[in-house]
Amino acid sequence: MEPIKTEIVVVGAGPGGYAAAFYAADKGKKVILIEQEKRLGGVCLNRGCIPSKALLHATKLITEAKDSHVRGISFDSPKIDLEKMRSWKESILNKLGQGISALGQKRGVQLLTGRGRFEDSKTLRVETAEGQKFINFDQAIIAVGSKSAIPKAFDLGNPRIMTSREALDLEEIPQELLVVGGGYIGMELGTVYASLGSKVVVVEAMDSILMGADADLVRPVMRYAEKAFKEVRLKTKVLKMSTSGKQIKVTFEVNGQEKVELYDRVLVSVGRVPNCEDFGLENTKVARDEKGFIKVDSKQQTADPSIYAIGDVAGGVLLAHKAAKEARIAVEVILGESSTFENIVVPAVVFTDPEVAWCGLTEAEAKAKGIVVKIAKFPWAASGRALSFDRTDGLTKLVIDPETERVLGVGIVGAGAGELISEGVLAIEMGATVKDLAETVHPHPTLSETLMECAEVFYGHATHVYSRKTMD
Amino acid sequence: MDVRLPNLGEGTDSGSVVSLSVKEGDVIKKGQTILELENEKAVAPIPSPADGTVANIRVKPGDKLTVGQIILSLSEGNGAEKKVEQKESTPGESHHSPEAPAHAETGEDRSKAEAALKTPPAGIPLPASPSIRKMARELGIDLTKIRGSESGGRIVLKDVRSYIQRLQQLAFPSKAVEPAKPAAEQIDFSKWGPIHTQSMSTLRRTISRRMHESWTTIPHVTQFDEADITKLMEMRKQLSAAYEAKGARLTLTCFALKAVVQVLKKYPIFNSSLNELAQEVVYKDYFHIGLAVDTEAGLIVPVIRDVDKKDLLTVAMELNQLAERARDRKVTLEEMKGGTFTISNQGGIGGAHFTPIVNKPDVAILGLGRGVLKPVVRNKQIEQRSMLPLCLSYDHRVIDGGQAARFVQELVEAFENFSQDEVKV
Repeated sequence: MEPIKTEIVVVGAGPGGYAAAFYAADKGKKVILIEQEKRLGGVCLNRGCIPSKALLHATKLITEAKDSHVRGISFDSPKIDLEKMRSWKESILNKLGQGISALGQKRGVQLLTGRGRFEDSKTLRVETAEGQKFINFDQAIIAVGSKSAIPKAFDLGNPRIMTSREALDLEEIPQELLVVGGGYIGMELGTVYASLGSKVVVVEAMDSILMGADADLVRPVMRYAEKAFKEVRLKTKVLKMSTSGKQIKVTFEVNGQEKVELYDRVLVSVGRVPNCEDFGLENTKVARDEKGFIKVDSKQQTADPSIYAIGDVAGGVLLAHKAAKEARIAVEVILGESSTFENIVVPAVVFTDPEVAWCGLTEAEAKAKGIVVKIAKFPWAASGRALSFDRTDGLTKLVIDPETERVLGVGIVGAGAGELISEGVLAIEMGATVKDLAETVHPHPTLSETLMECAEVFYGHATHVYSRKTMD
Repeated sequence: MDVRLPNLGEGTDSGSVVSLSVKEGDVIKKGQTILELENEKAVAPIPSPADGTVANIRVKPGDKLTVGQIILSLSEGNGAEKKVEQKESTPGESHHSPEAPAHAETGEDRSKAEAALKTPPAGIPLPASPSIRKMARELGIDLTKIRGSESGGRIVLKDVRSYIQRLQQLAFPSKAVEPAKPAAEQIDFSKWGPIHTQSMSTLRRTISRRMHESWTTIPHVTQFDEADITKLMEMRKQLSAAYEAKGARLTLTCFALKAVVQVLKKYPIFNSSLNELAQEVVYKDYFHIGLAVDTEAGLIVPVIRDVDKKDLLTVAMELNQLAERARDRKVTLEEMKGGTFTISNQGGIGGAHFTPIVNKPDVAILGLGRGVLKPVVRNKQIEQRSMLPLCLSYDHRVIDGGQAARFVQELVEAFENFSQDEVKV
């Protein structure tokens, strides 16, 4: 069979892959986009960012309604129709997926539905519904993403042991839910199920949930979790699981002692692994690291000169917006531009309650690396906007270079932190100083003011915080 | 507290360190000079903003500083954190010492200073916007070599542009900047007798560069004349005691300042500058007169502002102060900026006519010689009169001979008919 010739083939239509395909097409390249699933959008759209945010939004009303009786508004207990919730969520995903397909079509990106496999450094074989197709490409961009890791000891083939994928399908609301792993996926989905009425226990092997975020930013989330969840157990390991009737028997290790408990369902969220299996990478020069992620340089180039890799499969932080940025860099490098993924500020957002968001240098990182910084904090208890909706459990902080007064990092915990962090990203990318933030007018009454006031705290003259000692 | 380079005023945001006047451990007072900074205009002392003990000096002679950059730290109290070790090349006195490291604006010196720029921690971009960083990558420019001029050391387009221009100048020295040096053959003067050498001070180098630039870029013409100042000298004699009583010395320069401004108002082209890029003449509606002052270290030109709005007594008092501070090298950079016309009075020393060099970006300069008694024909009689030599050098690109002749003529009249009312106190 005559192979299809193309300039660029992109494998995987997640937020990295479709961004790369569209951008390359916009730049005049002939592009083929390969996706094995019918609906485009990858994990992000199908079983990640988007569905989890939809469910968080939907279930938030349950807690909001409960909390609003102090404001003089009371509701009866909510009736939950899981079937309807699922189809509402699906409708969102369909809308988005169709939108992406339409955008690809308009750009002349050729979409092939099927599973791709590298034959060599210039050829991709795709198994489609109509049979095998061969694609001869100048450059390939691998964007096949990652999937939930599930340790062998937990993989009993029992549907009651879920990964995020199954958890988002909302088959039922378990009475007792165990979440293994206190990272962002476990904490977000734990919140969804807790709102729906499950008794949630989170176990984390490390001494803190949400590793990577500064301790003071995690504290309000921990406080919320202690209230909304049945329990958060730190420094606890799950040794094994076994089926016990309609339940799962879980053996823990706490302080060197074993403990056995029964749960209706278990969500395993202990990390993600790249989708590199059975992909024909061995037929190319592409090299992988010890965890299986594809090795790339700062230009997203793999060890194979005609193959690029972006997004989760290329390792680093596994975030959709990182993938999208890498997509742009890979395409620009292919176009001959001198782009590189160096010193790019990638914000992180955790959609817990309250949300946590940070970017640039964290306080903990500065400490670990011995970088001298100054920290300015603005507690949301001093924000009128936060008070107006009973969410004073927030904190805005700046990590500052004392010499140049440049903003090196921003951390926010609080309702809507995810929407606020972008100002911090822009500040760091633009090389803004604390003074720049303090001098910029922020609208009142909004939570964005906390960034300005935090900058003013640094100088000791924030309007809504009294500091006895001004900075030297 | 950290002491940062203060705002130097409009147009200037950087300079290079000539010498440090303090060392670590020194107890200093507010206002005391901590270092001398040279910019394109002159060398100026930078005062300490507070009392304290000097700790952690971050700059050294030859470093290029931008506004807001930290110079040193001051700790409160007296010598609490004394550091004994003294940094190399930290001359303790405020004068140029010959052993201060010579630093011309060679690429090597600059790149050395620039290589020491602080880079942000890993993962944090250099202080420049994403678009500037992208442009630098495309041009193959290493941003770590560029010192940003904005707050926090932010690098903006302007900084990249001037960096590239400097690289270009270093790579292809233009004749205007780098004088042709075929004649710079090394001569061994010691063949004919004993010699000694002295390295040129930074101020000397600045003067040298600026004079060369003015001389080679401005077509100079010098117009000579003489003014009869017999009457003026009598007036001065009568009133000098009254001025003295108010603490002012009534000198010929005071009269010259007022006379010049009077004529400048009539011939505004002499109070202008040439914008060579835009090919337009910039007329200034203010009259800030620079005065060439001869100091031990060399020539500096402090400026007296708004001479037209001040009476003679005010001008005289300001002039005394300024000249004194100029000799002590306490004139601030700010006080040497913004001049519109320059007067160089050699009368105090002696001499007759000479050909002053226009002080760019001015377009004219007035030289004054020593007023001497001369036989002059007046009303068909030979009389003894005090005659003052006037020499007006001007930029012939902007000013023509007729204008210059008229200007000098009016100036002579202004000296000869100086109004008694203006002199009264």
